[in-house]
Amino acid sequence: MAEALFYLLGAAAVAFAIGVVRARMPLFSILNLLGSFFCLAGIYLLAGFPFLAATQLLVYAGAIMVLFLFVIMLLNLGDEAELERHAGLSLSGRRLFVAGTSAALLGLVGLAAADATTVFAADTLPEGRALDDLSMLARLLFSRYMLPFEAASLLLLATMVAVIVLAKRERQRTTPSSASGPLTAARQEPVESGAPR
Amino acid sequence: MSVPTDHLLALAAILFALGVLGFLVRKNVIIVLASIELMLNAANLSFLAASRHWSQSTLAGQGDPSAGPIFAIFVILVAAAEAAVGLALVIALYRLKQSVALDRVAELKG
Amino acid sequence: MSTMLWLLLFAPLAGSIVCGALHFAALRAARDGHAPGHAGSAARKLAGVIGCATVAASFGLALAAWGALQAPGILAVESSTWHWIEAGSFTVDVSLVADRLSSVMLLVVTGVGFLIHVYSLGYMAHDPGKAKFFAYLNLFVFAMLALVLSSSLLGLFIGWEGVGLCSYLLIGFWYEKGWPAEAAQKAFVVNRVGDACFLVGSFLLLRLFGTLDLSEIAGANFHMLGAHSGEIALAALLLFGGACGKSAQFPLFTWLPDAMAGPTPVSALIHAATMVTAGVYLVLRLNPLFAAVPAVLFTIGIVGAFTALIGASTALRQNDIKKVLAYSTVSQLGYMFLGLSAGAWSAALFHLVTHAFFKGLLFLGSGSVIHGMHDEQDMRKMGGLRRAMPRTFMTFVAGAAALSGLPLLSGFFSKDEILARNFALGGFHLGLWAVGLATAALTAFYTWRMVALTFFGEERFDRHHVRPHESPAVMIVPLVVLALLSIGGGLLNLPHVLPGSGLLEHWLAPVTRAGDELLEREGEHGHLSAAAEWSLLALGAVLALVFARRGLRAYEPGPARDEALARARPKLAEFLDGAWQIDRSYHERIVLPLRAAAARLSAAFDLGAIDAAVDGAGRLASALAQRSRALADGQVKHYALWMGMGAASLSLLWVLS
Repeated sequence: MAEALFYLLGAAAVAFAIGVVRARMPLFSILNLLGSFFCLAGIYLLAGFPFLAATQLLVYAGAIMVLFLFVIMLLNLGDEAELERHAGLSLSGRRLFVAGTSAALLGLVGLAAADATTVFAADTLPEGRALDDLSMLARLLFSRYMLPFEAASLLLLATMVAVIVLAKRERQRTTPSSASGPLTAARQEPVESGAPR
Repeated sequence: MSVPTDHLLALAAILFALGVLGFLVRKNVIIVLASIELMLNAANLSFLAASRHWSQSTLAGQGDPSAGPIFAIFVILVAAAEAAVGLALVIALYRLKQSVALDRVAELKG
Repeated sequence: MSTMLWLLLFAPLAGSIVCGALHFAALRAARDGHAPGHAGSAARKLAGVIGCATVAASFGLALAAWGALQAPGILAVESSTWHWIEAGSFTVDVSLVADRLSSVMLLVVTGVGFLIHVYSLGYMAHDPGKAKFFAYLNLFVFAMLALVLSSSLLGLFIGWEGVGLCSYLLIGFWYEKGWPAEAAQKAFVVNRVGDACFLVGSFLLLRLFGTLDLSEIAGANFHMLGAHSGEIALAALLLFGGACGKSAQFPLFTWLPDAMAGPTPVSALIHAATMVTAGVYLVLRLNPLFAAVPAVLFTIGIVGAFTALIGASTALRQNDIKKVLAYSTVSQLGYMFLGLSAGAWSAALFHLVTHAFFKGLLFLGSGSVIHGMHDEQDMRKMGGLRRAMPRTFMTFVAGAAALSGLPLLSGFFSKDEILARNFALGGFHLGLWAVGLATAALTAFYTWRMVALTFFGEERFDRHHVRPHESPAVMIVPLVVLALLSIGGGLLNLPHVLPGSGLLEHWLAPVTRAGDELLEREGEHGHLSAAAEWSLLALGAVLALVFARRGLRAYEPGPARDEALARARPKLAEFLDGAWQIDRSYHERIVLPLRAAAARLSAAFDLGAIDAAVDGAGRLASALAQRSRALADGQVKHYALWMGMGAASLSLLWVLS
């Protein structure tokens, strides 16, 4: 049962990935990516890494993808960056999206229906703990992997500074009233709204 | 689950390949960044597959099964940082060029 | 004592360096635009003084060395030894040795050299390169002294090459004119042929005797080396080949007439008094080696006699006053070798010394004439100068008298000694004697032809445009000194029938004893009765007087006789004009083909291969750059592609290894 789930989720992940690469609009690319992440989270669950699965959904799907979406909405990036102009989602993209999402949901439903212990039986540590047991991870992070841990915190600090500097608006010489939006000063021509239908 | 490790790794490989393809082919910088995320996830999957493999293995002392999840956490962390910086760059780029098409960004020419 | 010799040798070198520095100072002053006068001329004047002072110092030290040799029992003054080369069994120790032979050479080189340096103060007074001139002259003196003083054949060769170099530098001193540079190159190249022979000869000597030390070679027991006589002969012959190059004997004499392109003091010092005598010195130094192989000595005699004849016959037809003297030098050097071939070592040295006196005098005198005639060298455009330049005239006549062998002057005694010794040997040497006698007649004739055309007769130049004037005292005084030496120099080695005879011969005896003994053993030793000697003296005197008078009379009215001969016997005239056409045949048969071959090689190899390779490398780089430029197009995707491919191949390598 778990094996079948794995292959299903795997195929779905690949389908979503193809969708990422082939999407006409960046928005659909991100949505496909989201679906792929869901499938991967399921695979992590099946492989015996519950914590990683949760982390994947929380951080990757929940934070990073949302950030992508924020930027897309902010820049109002429609299909202006693409050569061909389509009114909306292409047929193939739409179908892929639907099929993939359905499969994923199906998979997860199946998981939920199954008995958790039966599924995970083979992939546990001898004491019955999960392979990514939280207390074990925590202990390791603060002992053997202390240096990468601290370095990672530094990295995040640097990233924060970098992002603020990079995305900062430049000082405007014009009167403040002319600026009405975060990017108004830079925009020179009205942009066609490419919001998905 | 008794899926052989090879299959997990094969899946990771396919996802990675797709990520590379998207990275090289697409013009839209957001999609390029998305492809990068896909590649990172494929790498994550391969880490976890390896960790699972070593924990299942009858040979003791070969490989460290705890390194898999730890590393995967760090990969997610770095991916988050990289995505943030990348998107900031996209914003700055958009401000400069009013477009996010990569082929119009040829500042490094010459 | 020993430091004295080192000082003697290195004083001129120091002078050369200082003069060189002064030359650069003068150049800088000229470039900075100081009035042509001030700073530059001060440097040049100083250079002249220093140049003369160093040679004077060396002369003083040479006198001291000669004085040291007067003490009974002292045969040589030696300096400290320098262990130069120690390569396994091959060692070369060089020290400076002043023995009886080299002391004579030292006095001649430094003494006559000093006089010529003083003369140059006047001759080169207005030349912007005066400091450079003195630098080169001093360098030459240094090299010549090294040649004479060295105890080893290797040191001698270094001096040999050094004088060759200075000769090149000084002949081409006025290289801007064009032809002096070619003449300098010709001198160097022809000398090189001789040097190659010298080197091979010294290799043979090294193999035979295991050493290059001159005294050791000279002192070797030649009686015991009978089995190697062929090799000894070859070595001696090769060394003589080197001497031919340096001393302008047939077939390597063609450079000397061309060398007249250099300033006249150079011709006097290098090409009359000192450098060209290096070959004679070499044979003298190694006289046992040559005496051991009479066949080689005879070859030397034939070459010397033949060269003497060529030189004298060609001098008859020359219109340039310096060319007459040049061919005359070639001829007189032939006499010296003729003397050597008869085993008359001291006679050859005697002639070397007197020749330095009178030929140096003649060259300096001709320089005075040229200077006074504003650089005119063609005798056809001279005439009657004895009125305008009386002092030059008188000293020149003294030199001409000595050269032509007029009785009681130095040249008379030295030439007669050589001829007498050849006569005494009899046999084949009689033939050589006859040639020498004929050449003596020719010598008298052409010498007084030269005097007549230059100083006698009517003035064949436009008095309004050319105003000949006497030269300044600084040039006349050396002329006078040399004239006195030319007149009285015969006292050095009077013939045996006269009282006070053979001073030089006795002085030189320790050096020539080995050679004399070898010659006696081989039966090459003749003896002259007093009557024979007196008759030969009388014959020489009469011949000289008769032909001198003939030459003077024939050419007093002008060069018409030359033109008559050219019309009557054009082929003969042409043959003699060009030194029996030897130089021309060299030019046609050797120089031109070599130049053509060099041009072809240069085009094919230098241009075609090497330049093409270098240019091709450049073009290749350029083409590669052109292609590579397309890679840096600024497209991030392309960069990413290359990075990805690189990463993929690296991981592939890692996986495979």
